Amino acid sequence: MMRRLALILALALCEAVTVVRPVWSLPTMIRLGYSDCVTCHYAPQGGGPLNEYGKGIDEAQSLRGGEYRPRDSKLVRTLSWDGRIAQDLRLVLPMRWTWAAHEPSDASFLPRLQYRNYTRLPRGFAAHVTITGESDAVRRPDLSYDPPTTSSSAFVNIALLHYRVSRSIEIAGGRDQLPTGVNVPDPRLFIKSRDRVGYYDTPTQLKVYWASKRHRVTPFIYGPGGNEKDGEAESGGGAVAEFDVLSNHRAVIGASALRGHATNGDRRMLGLHARLGYGPWGILFQHDITSRERDDVPDSFRQQASYAQVFWAPREWLVISGIGERLSVHDPFEERLSAGALDVTARLTSYATIGAAARLQRDVIKDEWSKSFMFQVALKTVY
Amino acid sequence: MRYPKAGFVFLALTILMAVGALGAHGPGQSDELAIQLSDGSVTFEVSTNVFSTTVRGQSNAVTGGTRLRDNGSGLQLQQLEAVVTVGSLKTGIKLRDEHMRKYIFETPDGQAPDVRFSADTTECPKNGAGYACSAAGNLAIRGTSRPFTIELKVARNGEAFHVTGDGKVTLSTYGIERPSQFGVRTEDEVKIHLDVKARGVATSTARLR
Repeated sequence: MMRRLALILALALCEAVTVVRPVWSLPTMIRLGYSDCVTCHYAPQGGGPLNEYGKGIDEAQSLRGGEYRPRDSKLVRTLSWDGRIAQDLRLVLPMRWTWAAHEPSDASFLPRLQYRNYTRLPRGFAAHVTITGESDAVRRPDLSYDPPTTSSSAFVNIALLHYRVSRSIEIAGGRDQLPTGVNVPDPRLFIKSRDRVGYYDTPTQLKVYWASKRHRVTPFIYGPGGNEKDGEAESGGGAVAEFDVLSNHRAVIGASALRGHATNGDRRMLGLHARLGYGPWGILFQHDITSRERDDVPDSFRQQASYAQVFWAPREWLVISGIGERLSVHDPFEERLSAGALDVTARLTSYATIGAAARLQRDVIKDEWSKSFMFQVALKTVY
Repeated sequence: MRYPKAGFVFLALTILMAVGALGAHGPGQSDELAIQLSDGSVTFEVSTNVFSTTVRGQSNAVTGGTRLRDNGSGLQLQQLEAVVTVGSLKTGIKLRDEHMRKYIFETPDGQAPDVRFSADTTECPKNGAGYACSAAGNLAIRGTSRPFTIELKVARNGEAFHVTGDGKVTLSTYGIERPSQFGVRTEDEVKIHLDVKARGVATSTARLR
């Protein structure tokens, strides 16, 4: 017990050298044979409330550990509409300190509160909603070839209607982030550069999840989300396909493709990704190549983004990751960035997770370095 | 004092040498060799009713051994035995390990006897550079013994052996219900994979453990 307390204290003291990443998606669970979100989340793409099994895993994989026992009271039955509604409130408290070359240091505290709801309706239908209230914009770094994202104090991340056709096919239509490869949600990652409006990139879409024991295919079509600037509203389609190489849900490779059209320029994207798990450790990898066109430049230009994460879980509740990233953009928006990060996430209970990360980034063309430290506490309701 | 004649001494020496030569066989002849498992693991893997999930566990505490005879065209394994203690099986989630022990391996009186495979005699003919065979015997889970066959591949380097094997256990044959947790239920068939190293033991009376 004392050792555990000492470890928690040490983690807290490591605030200065630790940072956080969003905690609503855990692709690292592939290390235990969970190759997809759907085992623990109601929604196949993850990101929403946990199902009962997911709550059990959430509790079992925490420092406190133990058995998840659903509460059964009149209040809970009323709130959950006799088990049809799964919902929670999440409070995320990220603190970040950044030091960039030739710029004053910057500290930010961007709390956000999320309400997540997944309601099972009759005849295979379900409604899935996530709404976020923010104190400030959660935005990616500005890109010279895309307009900057605009702050939003309240934002609908997900508003989907699901229909379960069969055990292996589900259709969802509405508003959400488009399906991606490794499905790591941190908006500041270079691989998010392919999105037009970063964190707020939630186009209207129709997608189909088709899964079997060894493959998953998610074709989708999409249109504007309504929050784009003039000329940036995009329509298009694409697909993400994954294959379980060893048939044991521990080695998944996949490819993704997307083609989009907007008044101010089109884009075509091809990506490869992999999720590998080997018991206590594993690897996540994604590489995207996007060919972009902008009306204000004569030729198309290429954007390449890579993401690699090696993670290790010395304890069930503690995951340590080393992350490497690269972003390369060709003329006339030439940009070459590389970054490395050390990330620690500790799930104390099913209610509380803390995380910390240290990140070092280099602008290769300008030969400038910047570093950031981040600490995050995430709290959520569980019943 | 009388001394034996030279002819008698020569005969005695000849007999002794002949007897000695019979006992000087090298590996690859028909002498029996006691083999003891020295290092290795056994893994199991079972699918669930959820497409994207399998449960996998492993033990690095496999003990056992056999008595081996090399007849030139293959190996004969006698009294083959492999034992895994239930407590050494880990799935990566402590709570799941507790559930596994409780619902799979525990007897009604709360005991969790070792998982034990035993086979009387197995002929392992040569197969390329190594040996391959089906070892048919009995597998005991929570004290209940049922027929079980494991496909073995054996690589030999003198008195050192590398043994791999694959088999399938059907839970229902042991009267074990498929474990279920909040709607996620395992399949009935569990894949078993054995990967162990073994070596010859100097004395023929070595204990097979």
